[in-house]
Amino acid sequence: MVLVAKLDNALRLSAVDRKATALGLTIGQPLANARAMLPALKVVAANDPADLKLLTQIADWCDRFTPYVALDGPRHLLLDVTGVAHLFGGEQTMLDHIRNSLQAQGLALRGALAGTAVAARALARYRDGVVIASGEEEQAMRPLPVEALNLDGLTTHALRRAGLKTVGQVASRKRSELMARLGAVTLDVLDEALGGSAKPISSRKPPPDYWQEQNFAEPVATEEVIRFTLKSLAVALAKILELHGQGARRLEAVFFRADGAVRRIDIEMGAPTRDPLIIDRLFHAKLAMLSDPLDPGFGFDLIRLCAVHVERASLEIINLNARVNERAEINFLIDRLATCFGSHRILAFQPYDTHIPEKAWVTVPAQHAQASKLLWRKIRKAKDAPRCPLRLFARAEPVDFSTAQHFVWRKVHRVVTQCEGPERIAMEWWHHETPQAARDYFRVEDNEGKRYWLYRNTATSQWFVHGVFA
Amino acid sequence: MSAYAEIAVTTNYSFLRGASHPKELIETAAQLGHTAIGIADRNTLAGVVRAYAALKELNGSTLRLLVGARLVFTDGTPDILAYPTDRAAYGHLCRLLSAGKLRAPKGECYLALDDLLKWQDGLLLVVLPQNNEEQKEPEASFWNKGLIQGEASNPSSKHFPRDLNSLLATLRTHAPTRIWLGVSMPHHGDDQRRLRAWQKIADDADVPLLATNDVLYHCAKRRELHNVVTCIREHVTLNEAGHLLEANAERHLKSFNEMKALFHEALDAIAETIRFADRITFSLDQLKYNYPDEPIPKGKTAEQHLHDIAWQGAEFRYAGGIPDKVRAALEKELALIAKMEIAPYFLTVHDIVSFAKSQNILCQGRGSAANSVVCYVLGITAVDPMQIDLLFERFMSEERKEPPDIDVDFEHERREEVIQNIYARYGRHRAALAATVICYRPRSAIREAGKVFGLTDDVTANLSSSVWGSWGSQLKDSQVRQGRLDPANLLVARAVKAANELIGFPRHLSQHVGGFVLTQDRLDECVPVGPATMKDRFFIEWDKDDIDTLRMMKVDVLALGMLTCIRKAFDLIRAHEGKSYDLATVPREDPAVYEMLQKADAVGVFQVESRAQMSMLPRLKPVNFYDLVIEVAIVRPGPIQGDMVHPYLRRRSGKEKIDYPSPAPGMGNKDELRDVLSKTFGVPLFQEQAMKLAIVAAKFSADEANGLRRAMATFRNVGTINNFKDKFIGRMVARGYEQDFAERCFKQIEGFGSYGFPESHAASFAHLVYISAWIKKYHPAAFACALLNSQPMGFYAPAEIVRDAREHDVDARHVDVNFSAWDNTLELCTDGTLALRLGFRQVSGFREDWAKTLATCRSNGFDTVNVVARRTKLPKRALIILAEADSFQSISMDRREILWAVRRIPDDDELPLFAARYVEEQLDEEIAPLPLMPLSEHVLADYQMLRLSLKAHLMFFLRDLFRSEGVMSCAEINTARNGSKAKCAGIVLTRQMPGDAGVVFATLSDEEGVANVVVWPKLVETFRREIMGARLMLVEGRVQRGEGDVVHLVAERIFDRSHELHRLSEDEMQSLVAHTSHRHPRDVRTVPKSRDFH
Repeated sequence: MVLVAKLDNALRLSAVDRKATALGLTIGQPLANARAMLPALKVVAANDPADLKLLTQIADWCDRFTPYVALDGPRHLLLDVTGVAHLFGGEQTMLDHIRNSLQAQGLALRGALAGTAVAARALARYRDGVVIASGEEEQAMRPLPVEALNLDGLTTHALRRAGLKTVGQVASRKRSELMARLGAVTLDVLDEALGGSAKPISSRKPPPDYWQEQNFAEPVATEEVIRFTLKSLAVALAKILELHGQGARRLEAVFFRADGAVRRIDIEMGAPTRDPLIIDRLFHAKLAMLSDPLDPGFGFDLIRLCAVHVERASLEIINLNARVNERAEINFLIDRLATCFGSHRILAFQPYDTHIPEKAWVTVPAQHAQASKLLWRKIRKAKDAPRCPLRLFARAEPVDFSTAQHFVWRKVHRVVTQCEGPERIAMEWWHHETPQAARDYFRVEDNEGKRYWLYRNTATSQWFVHGVFA
Repeated sequence: MSAYAEIAVTTNYSFLRGASHPKELIETAAQLGHTAIGIADRNTLAGVVRAYAALKELNGSTLRLLVGARLVFTDGTPDILAYPTDRAAYGHLCRLLSAGKLRAPKGECYLALDDLLKWQDGLLLVVLPQNNEEQKEPEASFWNKGLIQGEASNPSSKHFPRDLNSLLATLRTHAPTRIWLGVSMPHHGDDQRRLRAWQKIADDADVPLLATNDVLYHCAKRRELHNVVTCIREHVTLNEAGHLLEANAERHLKSFNEMKALFHEALDAIAETIRFADRITFSLDQLKYNYPDEPIPKGKTAEQHLHDIAWQGAEFRYAGGIPDKVRAALEKELALIAKMEIAPYFLTVHDIVSFAKSQNILCQGRGSAANSVVCYVLGITAVDPMQIDLLFERFMSEERKEPPDIDVDFEHERREEVIQNIYARYGRHRAALAATVICYRPRSAIREAGKVFGLTDDVTANLSSSVWGSWGSQLKDSQVRQGRLDPANLLVARAVKAANELIGFPRHLSQHVGGFVLTQDRLDECVPVGPATMKDRFFIEWDKDDIDTLRMMKVDVLALGMLTCIRKAFDLIRAHEGKSYDLATVPREDPAVYEMLQKADAVGVFQVESRAQMSMLPRLKPVNFYDLVIEVAIVRPGPIQGDMVHPYLRRRSGKEKIDYPSPAPGMGNKDELRDVLSKTFGVPLFQEQAMKLAIVAAKFSADEANGLRRAMATFRNVGTINNFKDKFIGRMVARGYEQDFAERCFKQIEGFGSYGFPESHAASFAHLVYISAWIKKYHPAAFACALLNSQPMGFYAPAEIVRDAREHDVDARHVDVNFSAWDNTLELCTDGTLALRLGFRQVSGFREDWAKTLATCRSNGFDTVNVVARRTKLPKRALIILAEADSFQSISMDRREILWAVRRIPDDDELPLFAARYVEEQLDEEIAPLPLMPLSEHVLADYQMLRLSLKAHLMFFLRDLFRSEGVMSCAEINTARNGSKAKCAGIVLTRQMPGDAGVVFATLSDEEGVANVVVWPKLVETFRREIMGARLMLVEGRVQRGEGDVVHLVAERIFDRSHELHRLSEDEMQSLVAHTSHRHPRDVRTVPKSRDFH
């Protein structure tokens, strides 16, 4: 199996598994080449964001060992464990622990521990699992190939071409000699690799968090207090959010019980929101809906309200246009209903671009409905009667024409006085295994002034009523 | 009276809008009994000649073709059909479209109503308001762009009418009695109502209503394909397309009765179509072609002038007196030319060729008329017609009255000079390139159709990759299965079906490689002319076939790499050996040259250097010029598919009796084929012979033969060639020929279909074969040098050319800062021979201007790296490349030390303050020596930088390893016993999969030579990965010695041993094994890329 990504305008392999490597595929090879070699190759598109997400998750998990966890390129994590190793039973034990835990989660990894980041990175790659005491880096690094220094490709190439193929060979050259040719950066890396100077690692930045919390001297338990607390937290949070021009799409309320238990409750909004009123009402609805009530036990001593997912939201402008407010009201209604019944059960119609009348819309979860790029098609021209009825029958109903002027629908005899058509609509041939006949639609008015949308199946000549004009 | 003319027909030359070929529409219209059909494509006349030709093929049809265009405007004006009434009006339409095209980017045409008003004289105009109520807004940005580029005098909205009424009124004031309102009944529900409304508008404006069906395809079934092309155009899938698609399948050609039923309320609109058609007197027959008269001096006729210069030329060519045979032939040819009134054609070609000669640009003509005495004495070709006995009139059929076909090849690097001269001499309004219609081929068709059906890129890539070669006519189920997809899967099946229909559909127009159309009158009144992608290039809307159909003159100004090479070789020979040659003065029929070719010693020789040709040479054993003509023509799909190669070889070597198939007694002259086939021992090899067979043996009429020739000439008509099959074979058998012979002859004709190769072309090519072989034989250093300097061309990579030169005792010398120029050069050795000095053009990443700087700063030579840096001020990158390429050898330092030293030179982006300090200020440094570079790493580095190494072959370092496995060298394979089992390993030079046969030919190279490997189709699937991927291949198989000592290793097992190359340098091993390292792009190409042809 291989992963592919677009590079230099061609699909190239970006990762290859063991079996593919054994069959001679290499990273950077064009996909077309690889496929010519192995037509049965399993190809999956590389998903860098997903890789990054996974790495970030692993980094999150590593937070338990040290606060200093850094993402190092797309595939590496650096942990600064200065002063914390003893908490986990010493360096070797800690390394083994991390390895075992991650392997238990189905991840393959290489790791090493050394006095500097460069050395640790190199050793992880070439001597998986070693722990090198501070001061012994040079000895450990010297036999490694120059690639271990992780210098840029040109520098590595230059060193190899000069015959300096191990870290030791490079280290044995004069500093001035290297300085003049490869620059200070290379020297720095070399120094660090050999345990000389160490750069601090830059830890991951915590994601911008918006949260408010309230401590209680006495644990609180009553619903009123809880609701009041949430409301005041929402007001405070709204201020911060407004300051940053953000609105929340998801909010989480965390209730810390006096005995240590934690309850979390979240609500989701269709549009970024920071209106405390809305937040309050949504939480209220959610709490009321809970099948297992929020058990306060001896009461909560801390309640925290976090905006888990925020999006940019412009300043709310009070708009006197009723339609805009109407829209806001509807959004709020959707949020409330979704909070109660689940997002997937509150649906909205959206237009769907097709000629087939009964397929001209789809339903989507209302909370997640993006504003459709399609517009509802106009069914009437200015100063004209509608071309098709607003409402269609779920199932077209057969009618019988006794003569050209008379038909029977729902057992009632009707007399055609006016008729226009046909509008011929062919079926979507690519959806059907066998060809489907086109329909000829007619707008028909009877002697009682009722208007029908009739169609005739052009193959069978059967007639149907598809809808009536109001 | 049941009469109807469909006026609004869109063909597939309205790219991705029409869904039927012009031919299909014409045939359907004729079947329906229409009085006339009006072809009107979107702002183009590209499809009308096809329609014209299709109608001509329908002998006796009463259908009339109306030629027009559908004008689509950028200013919001509804579409208007424009039909010229006469030749002058047709010129206006062409001018109008040309104007729109010239102000738009390639392939577009921006028109405004004012353009039409300017050129409306004589045009019949049918306004076609949109049927859909949602009229598009004018695309302002487009139009503005057009204004900026176009003629400034374009007050676009002066006349811009707000509504239909005022549009009609405006048009009527400009073109009274020439305006119609076109109306169609598309089954949109309100058809009748709209008809009534428009009837009123028309009456108010006093404009007749014209019935049409606004046709997009010839039959209702094509709706599916129309949906598909619409999606391709709009870049959507069928599921997303929605209202971009037509609601129904009504826009096809309809019969009179159907139209009558639709328009029962306005029958006059139907009758009006006939009145409309009757107003038009223009037909494409009236396009009368005039030759340009530039080359003819005042006061002389073309015939006189041609006569004069031809005899002058003859005196020059035959300095010792014109042989009687030539005299007679020339007189005969001139008489024929005069009779056919084509003297100006020869004069024009002569004119172009004379210019090239005056600029010392080599050129050579080929094509049916090129091997005439006239062309020889005019200097258009250097093939002495006495050397090859071609009958002039055989290729110049008097009945056809077509201009002869002469293509002229020029040096590929200097063709542009010739083209610019043509523009300068004839003017851009009279000279333009022909178009090439780019059609959907299997690969592009399945890729785009797959997208439309929502197949993922992966699946379509899979499907299209299973199509080997792009000329096959249809996608077969087996190919779908090869792409690991189920042909029964509905989605896949539909995509494949759509793709199959799409194959052969025109996709866009592109410029022909070099076919110039020259006219005496304005070309843009004959056909619309538009800009090409290349700046200042223009091309017309018709392609080669269209031009043929209309009997216009076209001169192919083509580029040929070998001519560049030959000219460079001649220059080198003149400069270094003081001897001057040209194409006509190289000594002819030198036995040593033929001897060399018989041994298949032909690397670099024109045409005969491919694998197939090289294995033919020792079997054919050419001894004279005509043998070369056969050699060139025989290794082609035609003779191969017709199974004519082996019979020919057997007869030639005397193993088979030469006889001539003859008809049954009483069916005609029993020796009728002797004339046709005597030159080739009774086996038809050339395209002309196949044609002649059709006429003589199958009794094809001139018209039928012409149709066959057309079907043969274009792959698009692969379908139509089968129409001739039964006729051809049936008639031959009926006349007493053997079924088998007839079938083989026809197979051959089919083979010519894809790569026709007439004797006259072969003769011109054979001449270049001889000349390049002669240079190779007598001036191997100059030959190799010229070949390298003309790259990219030919079949072999520089490494093979250099290696071949060294095998011919040419001393090849490495690139060096003190001796090399940009081009490869020759150096005089102490023993008086010439050595090849590689030039900087061989060094990857080095630039020509750097090489120039280096040469100008060289003076008495460089003695240190610092001197080079200081004097040339080349960027550090250039110096590093030089060092990497080991080009400081004359400064006699180790490559490593030079590299290490070069890197010490300060970077280019120096602060101005320190600029003065530059290099000389650097103090010497005392450093410890670097580790020695092993030879294998040197070789590898050479390959990376130059794609070749003079130090050793890569395989040299692996020989011990392979020896221990019992692997033979390539040289040993070539001397091994027939049928013996053998193993061979080498760097893969070429792999080829000719035709559909599925056989793969590979060439392996090692330090001792090359070996030829054949992989039969069965094995190809098993070892696909190895065949396609290996750079170093090990093949186990059996040695097969064929006729004339051709040795093949027939593969039984194949191994990819590319990883052995990593052994050569620890370096490479590391960079490949270490999975995280990011490799420098230079490292990737460990060995020269082998060239793949499939």
